Amino acid sequence: MTETQSPAPARSAGLHIVLGVVVVLALGAATRFLEKNVPVWFEGDVAKAIEYPVYAIVLGLIGNAILTATGWRERLEGGFRTEFFIKTGLVLLGASINLKVIVTAAGPAIIQGILLITSVFLFTWWLAGRLGLDDKLRALLSAAVSICGVSAAIAAAGAVQARKEQLAYTASLVIAFALPSIFLVPWLASVFGLTDEVAGAWIGGNIDTTAAVTAAGALVGEDALAVASIVKVTQNALIGIVVIALTAWFAFRVERTPGAKAPGIGEFWTRFPKFVLGFVAASVIATWYLGTVPAAEGKEVIAVANDLRVWFLILAFVSIGLEFKVSSLREAGWRPVVVFGSAAVLNLVLALGLALLLFSGFTV
Amino acid sequence: MFSMKSMTEPPTRQESRTQFNEDWAATVIGLVLLVLVIVGVIPPGLIP
Repeated sequence: MTETQSPAPARSAGLHIVLGVVVVLALGAATRFLEKNVPVWFEGDVAKAIEYPVYAIVLGLIGNAILTATGWRERLEGGFRTEFFIKTGLVLLGASINLKVIVTAAGPAIIQGILLITSVFLFTWWLAGRLGLDDKLRALLSAAVSICGVSAAIAAAGAVQARKEQLAYTASLVIAFALPSIFLVPWLASVFGLTDEVAGAWIGGNIDTTAAVTAAGALVGEDALAVASIVKVTQNALIGIVVIALTAWFAFRVERTPGAKAPGIGEFWTRFPKFVLGFVAASVIATWYLGTVPAAEGKEVIAVANDLRVWFLILAFVSIGLEFKVSSLREAGWRPVVVFGSAAVLNLVLALGLALLLFSGFTV
Repeated sequence: MFSMKSMTEPPTRQESRTQFNEDWAATVIGLVLLVLVIVGVIPPGLIP
């Protein structure tokens, strides 16, 4: 909104944003309905394995096609708040992360996370540089493929001030690679004869989105799901560190023009994605809360926060489907796809090696 | 062969401000929801 706008168009724009949010909420409710009822309607593992991101994205894409055909999409897109929904979902994700549990029960997950993120991030950054990609897109692709997909890309986008198109493009790549991984990695784990713990560590280390990790881990079994979740949660917790490093790198190296004054702490603060603080605060609050109530009661209450988190992630995935533009993929060309694909293969191999090395004797 | 022009333009001031507000909005709403869950205002079974 600008001050020069007359009240009538401003009111109309506000109404369009509200209508856009209503569309997202309606498709989110439809996603939740399908997620709960499809496994009841159709027997079998495939129906059970299809998790909410699949329904949400497909419904978002269908909504996108309908709104585009009727000429409403651009008017309503102010209500498709992908970033806000995912950031709120991430803050709520903090509630399910007990740092003490991670440190005491899953030391190997931290070692795996640090080694994997560092090597895959640096490889992706290097390859993207060799192929001449823009530095901001390099940062987004590297964070997305090495940490946890869309949420890491959003955190990185905040740190390097990337454009919305770059974020949308990276999110599209993450989803395009994560969906087949839900089925491919558990199948490969069974072909290789991996134990549930190693398979879980491989899934958690390799698959980008938290939702896809949960889906793939559940396909292998309960123990695999537990290890996969610990590994993924560890990677999620490392977002903050990567974001701080990226913020410093972009503020002090990439965007510093010759002769310009070095950016101060204020610049660093401006670029820092503030929702990371909410994520850490939620973890601290939940860890404190769980220490003050009986375990069963605490688990039940945190499950409600997890339900809310799933709702926000559903709204985010619906918005991604609604916002998806083929033109952004076409415009970027083949090079980011090559970078992402190569990094995904490296991630797959390294994560398997580290899972075998660190989790072979591990029991849940 | 292809253009990366629009992907390298800096974000506008409007976009930066929106992102800034979204960060704080997400933090405040996420934490408020968590506190409401913990104090029992949003009880188990309420979220569909």
